[in-house]
Amino acid sequence: MGRITLDKVRKAFGDTEVIPPLDLTIEDGEFVVFVGPSGCGKSTLLRLIAGLEDVSGGEIRIDGKPATDLPPAKRGLAMVFQSYALYPHMTVRKNITFPLKMAGMSEEEKKRRVDHAAEVLNLTDYLDRRPGQLSGGQRQRVAIGRAIVREPAAFLFDEPLSNLDAALRVGMRLEISELHERLKTTMVYVTHDQVEAMTMADKIVVLRAGNIEQVGSPLDLYRTPRNLFVAGFIGSPTMNLIDGAEAAKHDARTIGIRPEHIDVVGDGPWQGKVGVSEHLGSDTFFHVHETGLADIITVRAPGEVNHRAGDTIRLSPQMDKLHRFGQDGLRIA
Amino acid sequence: MATQHSRAAARFMIAPSVVLLLAWMLIPLGMTLYFSFLRYNLLMPGNNPFVGFENYAYFVTDPAFQAAIVNTLLLVGGILLITVVGGIALAVLLDQPMWGTGIVRIMVISPFFVMPTVSALVWKNMFMNPVNGLFAYIAEVLGMQPFDFLTQAPLASIIGIVSWQWLPFATLILLTAMQSLDSEQLEASEMDGASAWSRFYYIKLPHLARAITVVVLIQTIFLLSIFAEILVTTNGGPGTASTNLTYLVYAESLLRFDVGTGSAGGVIAIILANIVAIFLMRMIGKNLDA
Ligand SMILES: Nc1ncnc2c1ncn2[C@@H]1O[C@H](COP(=O)(O)OP(=O)(O)OP(=O)(O)O)[C@@H](O)[C@H]1O
Ligand SMILES: [Mg+2]
Repeated sequence: MGRITLDKVRKAFGDTEVIPPLDLTIEDGEFVVFVGPSGCGKSTLLRLIAGLEDVSGGEIRIDGKPATDLPPAKRGLAMVFQSYALYPHMTVRKNITFPLKMAGMSEEEKKRRVDHAAEVLNLTDYLDRRPGQLSGGQRQRVAIGRAIVREPAAFLFDEPLSNLDAALRVGMRLEISELHERLKTTMVYVTHDQVEAMTMADKIVVLRAGNIEQVGSPLDLYRTPRNLFVAGFIGSPTMNLIDGAEAAKHDARTIGIRPEHIDVVGDGPWQGKVGVSEHLGSDTFFHVHETGLADIITVRAPGEVNHRAGDTIRLSPQMDKLHRFGQDGLRIA
Repeated sequence: MATQHSRAAARFMIAPSVVLLLAWMLIPLGMTLYFSFLRYNLLMPGNNPFVGFENYAYFVTDPAFQAAIVNTLLLVGGILLITVVGGIALAVLLDQPMWGTGIVRIMVISPFFVMPTVSALVWKNMFMNPVNGLFAYIAEVLGMQPFDFLTQAPLASIIGIVSWQWLPFATLILLTAMQSLDSEQLEASEMDGASAWSRFYYIKLPHLARAITVVVLIQTIFLLSIFAEILVTTNGGPGTASTNLTYLVYAESLLRFDVGTGSAGGVIAIILANIVAIFLMRMIGKNLDA
């Protein structure tokens, strides 16, 4: 079980309010990802849930029971830190056993759980090594192992993959998703990498300056961003945002269109000069200048498409994929 | 220093300082060795005949020698114990966020800036003196007999004085080590359910192991040759109760004017210091590798 409820939770460091009163419910078994720009309070929110920071107001409930004043160890949550935070002088086995030892568990039970975790995480061959003798990915798995053995109500991850190289990150992303699939335990995951957020989450929470901008499934956020901030934040490359006359034609202050929803066609209504082309093989991204709409319009064309820099092309937005935003930045239905 | 050529050049350039340092060390050592084999007493001028190991035999069979060895070990051991345990305790305390930490830290460090002779005199005359000392005054206020520290417990008193001098050193090194501990490790252990004591025992103490090794090694080197504090407070007495090896060498060569025996004692002290150093390296040096 692991249902976490935040009720008007607030956090201030001295006079600066980092998190204004905030409500959020994380359902049992859900994989929730917090995303947002650097410094928006993702880590702080996670640490409030973990109990590593005291709330300045509001209430945290875990499985319906008040947890606001419980010390971290009593909340039944396990955390995986960005720096792994392994104990360098202990072997992998001792590291993973540590929480069980602190809980005063019997020797057989400790051994059973550690061996099981090591098997799940492919760590069996490394149990007698020290963290210093492991690769980054292995260290990350040890940190996860240390969290698993406690059989917590929920896992908290704070940017666990940001120290890994790109290839390893993709691998670990998959492993964590599979782990969630198997354990079905609630996971709360902080990242600023939106690919991680989109691929792993059941539910994404977009934060800005401590405020929740939108909560929803990855595709909800992609299809119907609630405001300009979410529209610009979710999706890669970012959505093209167009102000002015073109937007006024659609009765909006700003319109948004994703690069993948613009077609290059001979008779499109928009026209511009090709700038940089980024060839990814599977797709090609063009930066189009001098459209009279915005500085740059990014266009995504499937496959290998060649337009030389300086060529003039015509573009056609897919009208049903157009996002409209009003004066207040909110989406117009 | 990658290529043969640059290595040769480097050797050539550091050669003068190496030669100078070597001479600086070898000449006094050679002279001490040389004197230790001569009958050379300043009270009996004349020729100084070569006498082989006679001086060594005298020095070692002197009843004061055994006492001096025991005292040296007690001094070093006692002071190490007090400074390491006390240093850890103070480091833990000073690591806590509290009001006025800056001032407290400076106060803790200040004994280290006081010259050994001065601090020994201050302790002797202002604290431990059975008539005028602060401790005697306190004892009197409490209605007890004043305790004459330097005659009744000379060695323990010197251990106390020197520990007071070295405690700041240990505290400083251990505190810096403590502050280099990754706070996420502490938070992780907190999440893992470790109590304050477990956090200290399983996380902080192992983290300090290397710093403790450094403190022990450095202090041992200096503590083997404590001299000023003994000279100023007890003069090695009463009897030989507070004579250590260094003081015994001093007594032989400068109080009894026996340069030969004093030199022999010096050589023995060097050998003993090396034995201790090798033992220490064996026992705790492996902490430094990891
Ligand atoms: N102990 C603290 N004292 C004062 N301010 C703090 C403290 N910890 C965090 N803050 C402030 O709170 C804000 C949110 O910090 P937080 O670490 O939660 O950001 P984040 O979203 O995790 O950013 P990042 O993606 O860079 O990790 C920041 O503006 C930061 O300066
Ligand atoms: Mg963060």
